[in-house]
Amino acid sequence: MKAIKPQVGHQVGRSLPRLEAREKVTGRAEYTHLMQLPGMLQAKILRSTVAHGRIKSIDTTDAKKIPGVFGVYTSDDIQTVIPDPYYGPAFHDQPILAIGKVHFVGEPVAAVLAADPHIAEQATQRIIAEYEELPAIFDEVEAAENKVLVHEELKPAGTFADLKHLKGRKGTNIALDFRLRRGDVDKGFASAAHVFEHTFRTQKVLHLALEPYASIADYREDGVTIYSGAQSPSFVRTEIARLLSWPENRVRVKVPYLGGGYGGKLYIKMEALAVALSMLARRPVKVALTMEEQFYTITKHPSTFRIKSGIDKDGKIIARKCEVWWNGGAYADVGPRLTQKSGFTASGPYDIDNVSIDSYALYTNLTPAGALRGFGIPQLVWAYESHTDMIARALKRDPVDFRKQNLLHDGRPQATGTILKNAAIEKVLDRIAERLNWKKPFDRGQGVVRRGRGLAVALKAVISPTTSVAVVNIAADGSATLYCSTVDMGQGSDTAMAQMVGEVLDMPAESVRVVPRDTDVTPYDMGTLGSRSLFHMGHAVRLAAEEARDKIAALRRELGEPEGSNAPLGDLFRKKYGMQAGNIVGTGIYKPDYIPPDSSGLTTNATPFWMVAGSGVELEVDTETGHVRITRLINVADVGKPINPKIVETQLSGASLMQLGFSMFEKMHVDGGQITNASLADYKIPAIHDVPPVMENMTVDAVQDNGPFGAKGVGELATFGVSPAIANAIDDAIGVRLTELPMTAEAVLRGLYVKNNRPLGDD
Amino acid sequence: MTPFDLVEPASLKEAIALIDPDDPDVRPIAGGTALMLMMKAGVFRPTRLVSLRRLRNGLSQITSTMDGELKIGAMTPLTAIEHSSEVKRAAPVIARTMRRLANVRVRNVATIGGALAHADPHMDLPPVLIALGASVSIAGISSERSMTVEDLLTGYYETALAKNELITELRIPTQGNSQAVYFKVTAGSVDDWPALGLAAAIVSEGDTVRSVRLVVSAATSKPMRLTAAERALNGQIANEVHLKRVADIAAEEADIIADIRGSASYKRELLRVFTARAVRAAMEPRGAPH
Amino acid sequence: MRSSARTINFTLNGRSVSVNVQPHHNVVEMLQAQFALFGARESCGQGLCGCCTVLVDGRPLSGCLYLAVFLDGTEVVTVESLAPTGKLDPVQQAFIECGAFQCGYCTPGFVLMTKALLEQTSDPDDEQIRDHLSGNLCRCGAYPEIVNAVKLAARKSKAGSTG
Repeated sequence: MKAIKPQVGHQVGRSLPRLEAREKVTGRAEYTHLMQLPGMLQAKILRSTVAHGRIKSIDTTDAKKIPGVFGVYTSDDIQTVIPDPYYGPAFHDQPILAIGKVHFVGEPVAAVLAADPHIAEQATQRIIAEYEELPAIFDEVEAAENKVLVHEELKPAGTFADLKHLKGRKGTNIALDFRLRRGDVDKGFASAAHVFEHTFRTQKVLHLALEPYASIADYREDGVTIYSGAQSPSFVRTEIARLLSWPENRVRVKVPYLGGGYGGKLYIKMEALAVALSMLARRPVKVALTMEEQFYTITKHPSTFRIKSGIDKDGKIIARKCEVWWNGGAYADVGPRLTQKSGFTASGPYDIDNVSIDSYALYTNLTPAGALRGFGIPQLVWAYESHTDMIARALKRDPVDFRKQNLLHDGRPQATGTILKNAAIEKVLDRIAERLNWKKPFDRGQGVVRRGRGLAVALKAVISPTTSVAVVNIAADGSATLYCSTVDMGQGSDTAMAQMVGEVLDMPAESVRVVPRDTDVTPYDMGTLGSRSLFHMGHAVRLAAEEARDKIAALRRELGEPEGSNAPLGDLFRKKYGMQAGNIVGTGIYKPDYIPPDSSGLTTNATPFWMVAGSGVELEVDTETGHVRITRLINVADVGKPINPKIVETQLSGASLMQLGFSMFEKMHVDGGQITNASLADYKIPAIHDVPPVMENMTVDAVQDNGPFGAKGVGELATFGVSPAIANAIDDAIGVRLTELPMTAEAVLRGLYVKNNRPLGDD
Repeated sequence: MTPFDLVEPASLKEAIALIDPDDPDVRPIAGGTALMLMMKAGVFRPTRLVSLRRLRNGLSQITSTMDGELKIGAMTPLTAIEHSSEVKRAAPVIARTMRRLANVRVRNVATIGGALAHADPHMDLPPVLIALGASVSIAGISSERSMTVEDLLTGYYETALAKNELITELRIPTQGNSQAVYFKVTAGSVDDWPALGLAAAIVSEGDTVRSVRLVVSAATSKPMRLTAAERALNGQIANEVHLKRVADIAAEEADIIADIRGSASYKRELLRVFTARAVRAAMEPRGAPH
Repeated sequence: MRSSARTINFTLNGRSVSVNVQPHHNVVEMLQAQFALFGARESCGQGLCGCCTVLVDGRPLSGCLYLAVFLDGTEVVTVESLAPTGKLDPVQQAFIECGAFQCGYCTPGFVLMTKALLEQTSDPDDEQIRDHLSGNLCRCGAYPEIVNAVKLAARKSKAGSTG
C-alpha cells in the first residue's frame, strides 16, 4: 500500500482516503441488516393487498399454530403497549401497523415473530386479512380535486411550527400548500412580449439502497436500545421516546454503517415496529426488509409542475408562475417539508421580478414518498431548466446566452427576497459551457444516429434552521476522539469531520477517532440529510475542536509553559494530573440564523447557504429505435473550498449516475395501486454499462464565507441538472421535447414519430 | 423459503424415477438459478427437489463429431460453453451472445439443459439455438426421444417435456457457410432483460440469400420463427428495398406482447428495424464486427 | 413438510469444515449463521447485484441463489480470506487508493469478482472489466472508480508477482 504520510496541519483540502476504508474492503464493516443479537426474534410482515380499504378482519389463528412461531401481532396488540402509535416527522399520521384502514398496497397490516425467518415468512402466508375496498386515488393533480379522500383528518405533528395551522383539517388530500408571491405575475404576463407555459411530470422511483431497511430493538423495562441503519438517530430517539411517553435518555439509538441511505433511511422506518414488537415479545426483535419490501416503504415524490414565464422584448424573464403538485403517497413522512422548502427555489436560478409559486403536498393511495437525494429539487429543475431551454430555442436564442442574461448573481434578491451570497451560478454555467465547447460548432450528424448537446443549472436553499452538536475529547495521551451524530452512509462525513478536527488541533486526520453513532454518546444532530452536514456539523465540530484547543492553551498557561511551547499534550496531562489521566473536552453547537417566510413565502434569511450545480451532456440518438447513448456527462458544482477534493469528486459522480437512472429508465410501474415491478429483475438501476464513456466532475473556484473552512455540502448537487440537460440535448439532436420522465427509448421514438406525423399505436 | 426434501440420485435413470409426474411440487434442480428465484418469490413451493448434480460428470461434455456436429451435455454450465474453443469454432454467435447473457455468476451455475427446460421467453440462447437448427435429446422413464429446440419450446414457460423427462444433450448441426447473429435489444438500462431478441442465420452468396432462419424472442410468448419473412427473403437479393419489405412482413407476422419493457407498437418497430439490421449483419463478410 | 438436514464437508477459506445444513438454506445464510462471515450479503435476492458473491472452486457465483448443500466437496472462498493476517490484498489496496466504494455494501462482491477476473486475465482491458462486472451493482455509483481500481489492481498484482 502506498504509504500515506500523515501530515501535520493542512488537513482540510487533503484527498485523504476514507477512514473506514479497511473495514469496507475486508467485508468487516457492520451494517444493521447483518446484525445478530442473542435471543433475537425475526419479524416478517403481512402487507395490504389493496390500495384503500377498511380492514374487515385479520385471522391469525392458523399462523399462530405453525411450530416455531413466537407470536402474531396486529395493531390491536401494538395499541396495548403504545396506545397512540402514529409517527412521522411532519405529521403523526403513520400507524405502526394499519389501524382500521389500509391506505396503500404494501402497508404493514400484521407481523409474525419467529427465531427462524423462514418460519416467520411461512406464517405470514397463513394470515387471512379481509378488506372492504374503497375508492382510491393515485394521481397528484386529481388528488387535489378532493373527490376521493385518502384520510378523514389531517394529523400534523408539533415538530415544525409552520404546520400547526393544518391540525384537524378535513375533507382534503392537500397535506400542505406553500405559496410565494413576489411582485405581480399577472401584470408581468400582461406586459410580456412572449408568454410560454409548459407542464412537466416526473415518475415514482425509489432509493433502493443495497442494504434494505433494518432495525433491531431490544426493549427492557428501563430503556430500549435500537440498532438501526438510520440517517437521523437523534430523531429516532425523540420520536420513540414520544411514542413511549419516556424521557429521551431512556432511548438509545446505535447506528453502524449504512449500506446506502440517499434520504430513505431518515426519520422512522422500521424502528417503531421493532420497538413495539420487542415490547410485546420481551425479546430483541429484528425487522429486516427484503429488496422487494423497499418498494412498499418509501419512494421519491412523483410530481406535476406547470410553469409559465413571461419574457419581455429584450429577452428578460419578467414573470414566472409555478404550480407544483407533489405526489406524497399515503402518509406524509417529510413530504410537507419538501413541499415548502423546495418551493423557495421553484422558479430557478433566475433574476425575476415577478414570481408566483404554489406548491402542494398531496396524499394518494401509493407507497409514501419522502426525502430522496435532492429533496424535490431535481423534479423542479427538470421542469424549469427544460422550460427555460424551450423558451431560448423558441426565441432563437443561444441557450447559454439566454440563461446568462437572466441569471441570478450575488447581491441580487432570490425569489424569496433573500439576497444571494456565495452562489457561483454563472461560474458553474460558464464552466459547463466551456467543457462542452459550446462556442464551437457541433456536428449533429446526418444519418440514422444524430447527436446533440444540452445543459442545465440549478439552485437549492439548504434546509434551515437545523441544529448540530459535536464534542471533541482529548485523552491524556493527546489522542483525539470526535463524537457527533452525523451518519456516514458512504458520503465520507467521518473523514471530512476528522479532517476538520485535525485542521484545528494540528494533528493528522487519520489520528482522529470518530466514534460510531450512539445517542447515549454522540450528541444531538437534526439529521444527515439535504447536504447539510458538512456545513452545520462541520461548524459544530470546528467549534468543539476550537474549544478544546483553547482549553489546551489555557492548560499550558496554567502549567506555566512558555508562550509558543509545543510540549506534547501527554506531558501537560501528566503534569496536571500526576499520571496519564484526565480529559479535555470541547463542545460545539451550531444553529444558523433563519427567518421563516411570511404568508407570501418571503423572507430575508431563507437559508445559510445556497447550493449551486449544473450538468452538461453530449449524446447520440438512434432515430430508428429511440435509443439514447450519453457520450459525455459533465457535472460542475460550487462547494466553496472542498474539504476532501477526491471525495467531493466521487460524490458528484455518484449522484449524477443515480440521477441518470431516474432520468432514463427507472420507474415504479403502478397498476390500480399495485406495483408490478417490485424487484431488481424488473426495476433496473444503473449498472456499469450505463456509465457514460466520458464523465467529468469538477468544482469551480469559490469560497463559502460563512462555511467551515470556506466549505459547504455536496451530496445532492449533481442530481440537479442531469435530467433537463439530457432532455435539452435530445431536443438539440432531433427536435423532440420530452416532458415526462423517464426518457426511455420508446418515449424518444414516440416523440419522433409524432413529430413526423405518424404517431405510434397505443397498444 | 419453505423447507423441502432434497434427494441426490447417482444416475439418470434414478433421477427420472424420483420425479413423480403427477406431483407438481417435485421438480428436478440443475444449477438452480431459475428455480431458486421461483422458490424465493413463493411461486413454487416444492416438497422435494431432485438434484441432478451427481449426473454432471456424464452430462457435461462438449464434443464435436467428424461431421462438425456439436454435442453439449445438458449439465454443462453456460460459462463452459462460452469459453469452449469447439463452440467458438462451430458457432461463434454463441460466445458472442453469452457476453451479455445474464451475468458471469449466473453463467457459472446455470446449465444449458436447465435453461432450455425453464423456457423463459426472454432468454438469449433459445432464439440463437433455433436459428442454428439445434435439437435436444430427451430421456424419459423408459424411452429416449429427440426434437428441435424450436419444437421443445411450446409456450410461455412451457416445454414439450413430460414432467419426468430430462434433457440430456443439445446438438447443433454443422453450420457450413451459415453465418449467425443475435441482437439483444434492451429498452431501459443496457443490461436489462431484452424488450426484443432477434437471431438470424443466413447462408448467402454475394448479395443473394440462399437460406435463412429468422427468430424473434422476448417480445413474444416464446421464441418464434418469422416464417413469412424468411419466405420473402429466401432466394432474394438483400437490397434495401427487399429488406424493408421483409422487415415489414416480420413486424406484421409476430404476435407481440406489451409489458413494462415496451408497448406492442414500440416492439413492433424494434422488430422491423432489427430484422433488417440482423439480416445485414448476418450477410457481412465473415469476421466483420457487428 | 419434513426437511432433511445433512452434514456437508467443504474447504472454507483454506480450512476443512463440516457443518449441518437444511436443504432450503442458501450459502449466504449458512456463512452468516454458522461461520459469522458477513462479507457476502443477500441484497437483491435474485443474483443480480453481486453483494452475495462467493468463489466456489475458483468461480464466482451468487450465494443467495445457491443451496448450501451444493457446497459439499467444494473449495469456497469469501472476501474474509484476502487479508488473513491484516495485510491487504493488492485488489483491496487498489480499491482504497482509487476511492472505489462509498457505503461499502457492494464492495466485497466487487473485490471478489475482481480477484476472479485477474486470476483468469492478468491484464484485462476496459471492455473485459465492464463485461465481467456487468452483474455487480453499486447504488452509490462508484463504477468509474471501480474500473480504475481493477486496472490498478492488475498493475499491482503483476508488480507483486514479478517481485
